[in-house]
Amino acid sequence: MSGARRAGPPAQAPRRAVVRLRDQQSPSRGGRTTVAVLRPHPRLSFLVHRRSVGVALALLALLLAVMALSACLGQSYVSPAEVWRALRTGAGPHDLVVNELRVPRIVLGALVGAALGAAGALVQTVTRNPLASPDVIGVGHGAAAATVLALATGAVGSPAAMPLVSVAGGLGAAALVHVLAWRRGVQAGGRFVLVGVGIGVALSAVVQLYLADSELEAAEQVKLWLTGSLNGRGWEQAGPLGAVLLLALPALVWAGRAARPLGLDADTAAALGVRVDRVRLGVTVLGVVLAATATGAAGPIGFVALTSPQLARRLTRTPQLPLLCSALTGALVLVAADLVARTLLPPLEIPVGALTSLVGGPYLLWLLGRRSAVR
Amino acid sequence: MIRRLAWPASVLVVAAAGVLSLTVGTRAVPLSAVADALLHGGGSPDALVVRSLRLPRTEIGLTAGAALGVAGAALQAVTRNPLADPGILGLSQGAAAGVVIAIGLGLADGFSGYVWYAFAGAVLAALLVYGIAARGRDGASPVKLALAGTALSAMTAGGTTVVLTSSAATLDQFRFWQVGALSGRDAGTVVRMLPFLAAGAVLVLGCARGLDALALGDDTARALGHRVAWVRGSAALGAALLTAAAVAAAGPIAFVGLAVPHLARRLVPGGHRAVLPLSALLGAALLVGADVAGRVVRAPAEVPAGVMTALVGVPVLVFLVRRRGAVS
Repeated sequence: MSGARRAGPPAQAPRRAVVRLRDQQSPSRGGRTTVAVLRPHPRLSFLVHRRSVGVALALLALLLAVMALSACLGQSYVSPAEVWRALRTGAGPHDLVVNELRVPRIVLGALVGAALGAAGALVQTVTRNPLASPDVIGVGHGAAAATVLALATGAVGSPAAMPLVSVAGGLGAAALVHVLAWRRGVQAGGRFVLVGVGIGVALSAVVQLYLADSELEAAEQVKLWLTGSLNGRGWEQAGPLGAVLLLALPALVWAGRAARPLGLDADTAAALGVRVDRVRLGVTVLGVVLAATATGAAGPIGFVALTSPQLARRLTRTPQLPLLCSALTGALVLVAADLVARTLLPPLEIPVGALTSLVGGPYLLWLLGRRSAVR
Repeated sequence: MIRRLAWPASVLVVAAAGVLSLTVGTRAVPLSAVADALLHGGGSPDALVVRSLRLPRTEIGLTAGAALGVAGAALQAVTRNPLADPGILGLSQGAAAGVVIAIGLGLADGFSGYVWYAFAGAVLAALLVYGIAARGRDGASPVKLALAGTALSAMTAGGTTVVLTSSAATLDQFRFWQVGALSGRDAGTVVRMLPFLAAGAVLVLGCARGLDALALGDDTARALGHRVAWVRGSAALGAALLTAAAVAAAGPIAFVGLAVPHLARRLVPGGHRAVLPLSALLGAALLVGADVAGRVVRAPAEVPAGVMTALVGVPVLVFLVRRRGAVS
């Protein structure tokens, strides 16, 4: 007995054990390990998943290509050379179409998509449930309800304050869902998701309640916002969202590292020395803030936060949800969906939120049909 | 005591809701004037309001609420699931999508045209949601059914928006119907609803004993001599018919069928032969009551009844989800 124990592998520091585990789980190809350690400084090192880097670069290239295509296509075709000249000089015959109409909404679409994708990855990592993404658990509805109330009552004057309003709404809804789903701890499973769905329905009912008697002009404005469209939005929405994303960047870098052990179950993560509750709270709040800001900028756009992390993980083949690749996938999905929504039925524009729901709904159904998606 | 009083009390509540619905509104009509208008007609403004506006909407509220209550009770028994409701399971949105497609393609106008497409949409949605949720090891659990219904609702809502964006005429016809309001329906609607309601009610009530047996599990039900598949199919078809008729008349109204059967089961003993009729009464009272509340809460504007039922229904949903054993 004792001889067998001595012959076994020597005890290792837990952190290294995680690395080993990942090595064994992900397929290593051609004898190369799937991860590399970057050590730019003796006291600073990064663990880099080789395939993820390739996927991220490919996604970035594809995103830029679709953005360029989107700048060319539309009601009137503008050749790439003309687009480039209009961008560079800010003048010329296509200046209005390119610089005033198309580029702002493309940039906004990419930012909104990136924020939603990152938010989805964060929240799904914490709940360890592909269904518990921000749009399913009521964050989008909360942000929407707060924004509608602010618009309908005219309580918030300046457009610069609108992101704050939507963040407050999203955080409030998330907190409400959390409290109502709480019974000796929040299970990531069914109760949380069901309460989230219910709160979402109640909040959209509140929106309807306020639509019923607000002034006609305010109601029109709210209806336009509620369709979840990038039409007629631009720099004034993209600016605050970009600022929030920039401010959140350090937190995102932290979350990318800190959320990794959360993919394990809570006991294992705690045994590895992670303060599970604090990390969970921080990562969730970050995800909710991102999702709520994105909703405030472009209206409720469903299913991007749900699908992007899952798509990204299938591309990178990592055990946990890749944060950067999820953000890039979200941006790509939304910019592409907006391009389709603009050009499918000219001269009409389909709200991009309707399009993502049409594509995302079957995906959610497929996810449900699989075994073990819901425990 | 409570059990003996349940029936008369429910009838009283329905009657009170009906009377309130006839008297309360932007123009308050005194009770005597209501009685006068109903019995003698006449051309006074009060009589006109009562006979041409309030009476049709009260009738529709009563019948649609009763239909949704029975449909909810039947669905909860069929899926053996406390969270089943025509709205949560996606039947209502399926029926709505059927109506929108019919309007968009110019196939139908008015209730008699809508109802067939609503029926087709509700049946398709029921099959799809149940088929997807029943896959996998643990079968059609409450979470999976609810999520499949939500996903389907989101998808059909997206499709509906696409149709509406591309056709202004459809939007104009649809938007009054979509919000789940009882106002603005013409007087004959309720008469045309009745055959569908009767067929659905016969289908569901005919297998009330079978539904009782289903609660004991498929094997026990079979051992007791019930044809399980037949009971399920007939009750689900009846629920789809009832939902389709209610949706075609009043728009997609959710949550009426969720709370009502739970209340009915607590109030009366005797299984589904008592629970189903009591669900009908309570559903009628709930929908008409929600409609009255919608007229009062932000007067002089009107809040659609569907919005009010959602506000009432969500706390019930949260309560049921939190209760032990509802979600495994």
